[in-house]
Amino acid sequence: MNVALALLWKDLLCEWRSRDRVVAMIVFSILVVVVFQFAWPDRSDEQTLALAPGVLWVIYLFAALLGIGRTFTAELENDAMTALALAPGTRGWIFAGKAAASLVLIGGVQALTAAVFALFFRVDLAPAIGALALVVGLADVAICSVGTLFSAMSVRSRFREVLLPVLLIPSLIPVLAAAVQASAAVIGGEKLTLAAVQPLIVIAGIYAVLGFLLFDPVLDD
Amino acid sequence: MTGRPSSAGIPGAVTRGLGWALALLLPVYGWIVYQAPIDSVQGIMQKILYVHPPLAYGAYLGFVVTAIAGGLFLWRGAERHDQLAVAGAEVGTLFCTLMLVTGPIWARGAWGPGNWWVWDARLTLTLLLWFVYLAYLLLRSFTEGDERTARFASIYGIVGVVLIPLNYWIIDLVGGRAQHPENIERGSLGEGMGMPFLLGNLTLFFAFAYLLALRWETAILQSLADAAGDGPADHR
Repeated sequence: MNVALALLWKDLLCEWRSRDRVVAMIVFSILVVVVFQFAWPDRSDEQTLALAPGVLWVIYLFAALLGIGRTFTAELENDAMTALALAPGTRGWIFAGKAAASLVLIGGVQALTAAVFALFFRVDLAPAIGALALVVGLADVAICSVGTLFSAMSVRSRFREVLLPVLLIPSLIPVLAAAVQASAAVIGGEKLTLAAVQPLIVIAGIYAVLGFLLFDPVLDD
Repeated sequence: MTGRPSSAGIPGAVTRGLGWALALLLPVYGWIVYQAPIDSVQGIMQKILYVHPPLAYGAYLGFVVTAIAGGLFLWRGAERHDQLAVAGAEVGTLFCTLMLVTGPIWARGAWGPGNWWVWDARLTLTLLLWFVYLAYLLLRSFTEGDERTARFASIYGIVGVVLIPLNYWIIDLVGGRAQHPENIERGSLGEGMGMPFLLGNLTLFFAFAYLLALRWETAILQSLADAAGDGPADHR
């Protein structure tokens, strides 16, 4: 558990000093928001509202891929991967620390993206902000769990930039499907029910447990 | 030659037995499908029934084999389990691809022109399964080092098999269009169609098992050859 907290702190501190992952994700996300304007130039406000959950989640998904892909790149230097593997305690906690750091970074970028999106397209997300944050947070737990697991594998493979999306996207489809549906309901003004977030809770739980348990052999080098 | 005896996989007699069973079944299967009555609504197109669903079982079975073998590899560390996992994934990919090819042909015939593809729950699931298979095979070819490849692939295989029920549940929940029949019950098959359908399942099951055994044997022989030669060679 201490390993997890130490890694979380270390990753956030490194990010604070370099800011490379977050800046890359933010620039990418805002660029895609701008691309959206040119992809559907003539749309009504209703159409914007209808497209909002889908567009937001496409941005979130690819921005997350960008960030998660760099989870372990710093550890490749000076063979820090081996040092991680030698850390005392259950290796699942290394996974937990890494995933938590990604979660914080990706969550921050997503909040900023949503604000920019709302500002640019006059979509009022304010009334739904709490419910939306819950939906996005649950989806992020799932995304960061499998993302961290696969990133630790792909980072030591050839063509890692190509491999990670190929590995990750099929496993993120259920997350995306459930998150888009829940987000659409929330943005459309419905109250968030347990039934709407239940799939996300189940997937996040399964992925977190799988990541925690399967991370051990990933570091067996 | 050093290394394990070939009995580390499936005994040769079993593989040969599967091959003979398949060889005997194939002509009977072909004949009985030819003889099967032509559907009054769909016409000759309906005969894809004797190929398409049996392929589906192979596709799913391949994944289960891969996941179980991968789990065994992580647990016991025996190379032959990883070799079985590859065999399961490759044969499963073949079955899954054939299912994805036969499906749209039947769909266009049965659901009307232009219906090559619909985002039906089971179709979507199969497509995702196919992508997971591809990702599994890509992961294997992009990872360096035999032991590491086996380890990573085993992990991915286990996540992949968990995805099958998860995807099915979610796709169903978010309301994919349901075009497939809920279940092929005995009663839903027309007169004279039960036997060819049963035989189709049996034949393709034997085809699956035979290919799996052959592919497993090949992987084992390959690693024996590598061990006998000057170190592992890159066969890809």
